[in-house]
Amino acid sequence: MKLVFYNDYTLGVLQGNMVHDVSNAVKEVPHVTPQDLISGVIYHFDVLRSKIEAEASKVRGIPRSQVRLRAPLPRPTHMVNMAVNYLENGAIKEPRPINAFLKSPEAVIGNGDTLVLPPEKATIFHHEAELGGVIGKPARNVSAANAYDYIFGYVNYVDGSARGLGNGSFYWGKSYDTFCPMGPCIVTADEIKDPQNLRVRMWNNGDARHDYNTNDMAYNIRRCVEYATHITLLEPGDVIAFGTNHQGIGAIQDGDLVEMEIEGLDRLTFRVKDDLHREWPRGIDHNMADAVAGRNRPAAGAPAR
Amino acid sequence: MKLVVYNNFRVGVVRTSSVVDVMDVISDIPHINPGQLMNGLIEHWDQYKAKIEQKVAGSQGIPLNGVALRSPLPKPPKLVCMAVNYMEDGTRAEPAPINAFLKSPTGIVGDGDIVELCEDNATVFENEAELGLVVSKRASKVNAADWRNYVFGYVNFIDVSSRGLGAPGMDSFFPTKSQYTSAPIGPYLVTADEIPDPQNLQVRLWINGDLKQNYNTNDMGHKIPRVVEWSSTITTLLPGDVIATGTNHWGLGPLMDGDFMEMETEGLGRLRLKIRDTRQRQWVRETHRERAAKGLPPAAPRI
Repeated sequence: MKLVFYNDYTLGVLQGNMVHDVSNAVKEVPHVTPQDLISGVIYHFDVLRSKIEAEASKVRGIPRSQVRLRAPLPRPTHMVNMAVNYLENGAIKEPRPINAFLKSPEAVIGNGDTLVLPPEKATIFHHEAELGGVIGKPARNVSAANAYDYIFGYVNYVDGSARGLGNGSFYWGKSYDTFCPMGPCIVTADEIKDPQNLRVRMWNNGDARHDYNTNDMAYNIRRCVEYATHITLLEPGDVIAFGTNHQGIGAIQDGDLVEMEIEGLDRLTFRVKDDLHREWPRGIDHNMADAVAGRNRPAAGAPAR
Repeated sequence: MKLVVYNNFRVGVVRTSSVVDVMDVISDIPHINPGQLMNGLIEHWDQYKAKIEQKVAGSQGIPLNGVALRSPLPKPPKLVCMAVNYMEDGTRAEPAPINAFLKSPTGIVGDGDIVELCEDNATVFENEAELGLVVSKRASKVNAADWRNYVFGYVNFIDVSSRGLGAPGMDSFFPTKSQYTSAPIGPYLVTADEIPDPQNLQVRLWINGDLKQNYNTNDMGHKIPRVVEWSSTITTLLPGDVIATGTNHWGLGPLMDGDFMEMETEGLGRLRLKIRDTRQRQWVRETHRERAAKGLPPAAPRI
């Protein structure tokens, strides 16, 4: 099942190009905010699933082009982001010690929204296309063996990143408002047979950027869920972003139209705006790709991260 | 006013040694959990303040020492923690470059709770007593000069820290700072009108009755107005967010199984916790200051 929010955060099921209003099926889920609603739906999905399916087949669908899709997870409690979690197509022999950071939940935007570059003097702004795992129930001290029991589904996730601010601070670089495009839908786990073997692609103005497979992860999904939940308690509706392969990383700048697609997760599109109209070279940022892969380049110095 | 959350997550106001329950005054605030109720009360304070004052004036209350206190903020939307934000009693020439990190909001515990040290091989666990600001309303890119408009009140905050985890050379704040039960807050949420000068408060922390941290918030590197301003440029601050303003590191020392940890910022009451370590690890009981006096590196070694 593909769950979406649309228009004024109406809950819908996406089937092909049609959106079906399923609010009637979830009327009894206590909620104040849209995130409360989606987290409640996720947590009680075993009870709600058949009602939602029945409602979706009962109501007329609306063409998705006629609705405004919103972020399906408008404000999770946690967005845990794995750091340096790809082997970069064989360039990295030994994974770095496992690590992660929290991204501000206020950074979330949805399909069709605009990522706004802040005026701060970053050396460059990058996209990072990632697979996001959505937590399905309260998760604390989950073993790797049981990890998939705690994943409700998956979502396209972009970790917008400002470089050169705050000496490598993940807070400063990654938590700006609008720096986390997510969506367009949450795909339930049963539709994703092998999340550890998914092609992740991104395009900027139609030009290819990221093109990697999730089998290149340093620490796999099971290990990441185990790691994050041994540190803290995650809640239904929280997201773990499993990292990015930096070999297709590139700048985001004013006027860009960026798209990402993970197999089976539909396509996420967002725009980029910069009131200062700063410009960076187009194409893949090879300095950054090489720096993360540990390759030295003779050209002008690579940014620190 | 001193707000508390107590027993079955009821909201009350402290009046000398009593607590007056105010649930009937605030129950129309939309909420599905106690954290959301407190965040909503903070956001709509102007609508409820007078009614609450009336209730407090006209009620007897129940003894404060007869209730179980919870964190007065059960679920802040964010815990934003300033990093390296003290001048360390004159030993820093300049403030460190401004920086912060997010601490997991599910790690919060309250007065009387237990801080559980994680089983991972941390090199040491340390106390960091801090003044916490509580945000009153949405704040995005606000000016330092307007900071009082965005601060609802203050709380004691301890940023329990688990050192030696994460990746060397990389921002490792998540494993260091976000361990479960590592965010004690309380006992009260004190409204701003009771704290006219938050930049001049003594902050003290004791372990087993011994005074370890004893510093003044006037030693802060980036001061409160700048902290509010800068935090709000990175991310939108929401009502109920906590901004921990940093710590003076001289009084940091190891936390061990069985320790009784107390902290008090002037005017904010005393926050008391027990430390538990199922592995019962032992460290040399020395603070950074004591070790520096002997020419030793700051973190206490494991025994």
